[in-house]
Amino acid sequence: MSSKATGLAARRLAALVIGLGIWEALVRLRLVNPFYIPAPSKVAETLVTLFADGEIWTHIEATFSAALLGLALGVVVGAALGTAAALFPRLGEILDPAMTVLNAVPRIILAPLFVIWFGIGIASKVAVTFVLIAVLFFFAIYSGIKEVDQRLIDRVRTLGGGRAVLLREVYLPAVTAWGLSHLKIAVGFAFTGAVVGEFVASSRGLGYLLSFAQSTYNAALTLALLLVVIVFVFVLFSLAAALEKRLLRWR
Amino acid sequence: MLDVSGLTLSYGGEPVLEGADLRVEPGQFVSLVGPSGSGKSSLLRAIIGLQHPSAGTVALDVDSADVGMLFQDDALLPWRSAVDNVALGLRIRGKARQPSREEAEAWLGRLGLAGFAERFPRALSGGQRKRVALAQVLALEPRLLLMDEPFAALDAIVRHRITQELLDLVEGKKISVLLVTHDLEEAIVLSDVVYLLGQGPRARIRQRYPIPIPRPRDIVKARTNPTFAPLLERLWQDLSAEVDMTRRVA
Repeated sequence: MSSKATGLAARRLAALVIGLGIWEALVRLRLVNPFYIPAPSKVAETLVTLFADGEIWTHIEATFSAALLGLALGVVVGAALGTAAALFPRLGEILDPAMTVLNAVPRIILAPLFVIWFGIGIASKVAVTFVLIAVLFFFAIYSGIKEVDQRLIDRVRTLGGGRAVLLREVYLPAVTAWGLSHLKIAVGFAFTGAVVGEFVASSRGLGYLLSFAQSTYNAALTLALLLVVIVFVFVLFSLAAALEKRLLRWR
Repeated sequence: MLDVSGLTLSYGGEPVLEGADLRVEPGQFVSLVGPSGSGKSSLLRAIIGLQHPSAGTVALDVDSADVGMLFQDDALLPWRSAVDNVALGLRIRGKARQPSREEAEAWLGRLGLAGFAERFPRALSGGQRKRVALAQVLALEPRLLLMDEPFAALDAIVRHRITQELLDLVEGKKISVLLVTHDLEEAIVLSDVVYLLGQGPRARIRQRYPIPIPRPRDIVKARTNPTFAPLLERLWQDLSAEVDMTRRVA
């Protein structure tokens, strides 16, 4: 890291520490009510307790399983449908408006329906996540294929390339680029789907714990759990960003 | 080499180019000049089969694999390095990866891009990208080269250098060329024959001008040849008359 970047990181860290310091001071001076806004030290203490007894891990595992399963299914099915719709215009004519409608509604409202259909276990959370991501990926891949640069296609054709070459050299890389640039958004969607699914009805998961914390007016626990979700999403987001950077280094 | 006869090209039933006759003899450099919208680019696309003529024929006495094409806007694969872009055509022709890359590197070297083989197109300048596109086409050792204002987007100095390099290669390897351009001076300096296309729609080929400047040519010195100035003047007059005539009709 250059000294310039180190300096920037140091200044940002200092700002964070000062911010937390002010927050802590405001609570200790009783300028804000700790019932609503607990001090950072209290949130940290709650976090330590959560991890100390180890029970949080089953909840993290539940949320992660639902999010990642829904993400994987959504990416695969969305990409497959998007490819099919782009390759077969007859199918595209039907899928395009259907997906546009699905895209326009806040799909998260389907969560209660999924609980009725699939129960309060992991299946209903996977379904919410799936429906969020499948629609996103459908459009990523569908428009990715349709908007491939015609000049590249002409170029490969005049060099003598047929369908197989076009697929490998033009369509696949173009679609990979579109897919990867949507992956970061999809990671956020995956956790939204899983956690909201757990809000609606569940017996496990970070959403379940959040819902419990809310019903007991435990602001410290709520903040601690939010922090856990944010950290995990951020880690996955960074992984997706690293993957994107590596695979799309030509950009 | 190439014999286009009675070629009519239409867009949505409306002919853009009508009844075009044009020949390129082996080893000849032929240019086609004309105003915008006269169907020049479409003619090239028809020759390589990217567009279907509504009448007329295109006769090539070489295999379509021996025809190279250089587009106006270079379209390199952005996700492939310079050397892989050049090697692409060779690999499509069935050559193995390693020999293709070696040959591609040799071509990049010939076009002054020795140190840039592993760069992606994004990291190359406009002139360098154009050289890569040129290497990509020349690596396939075409016998007929079709070019659609290939260097129009480059600045004057770069354009001048690439044009001279291309001319040297084409003369040395006896490649036949059909160049589409609206730069009359360039057409005269480079060509053995210049065709003038009228104003579209329903553009027709109006004139054929043989250019008697001896080869090999230097694109600066060719302008000092005594035939250059009179030819340029005639071409200008004919082209202006063509544009004026359609204006009056319109």
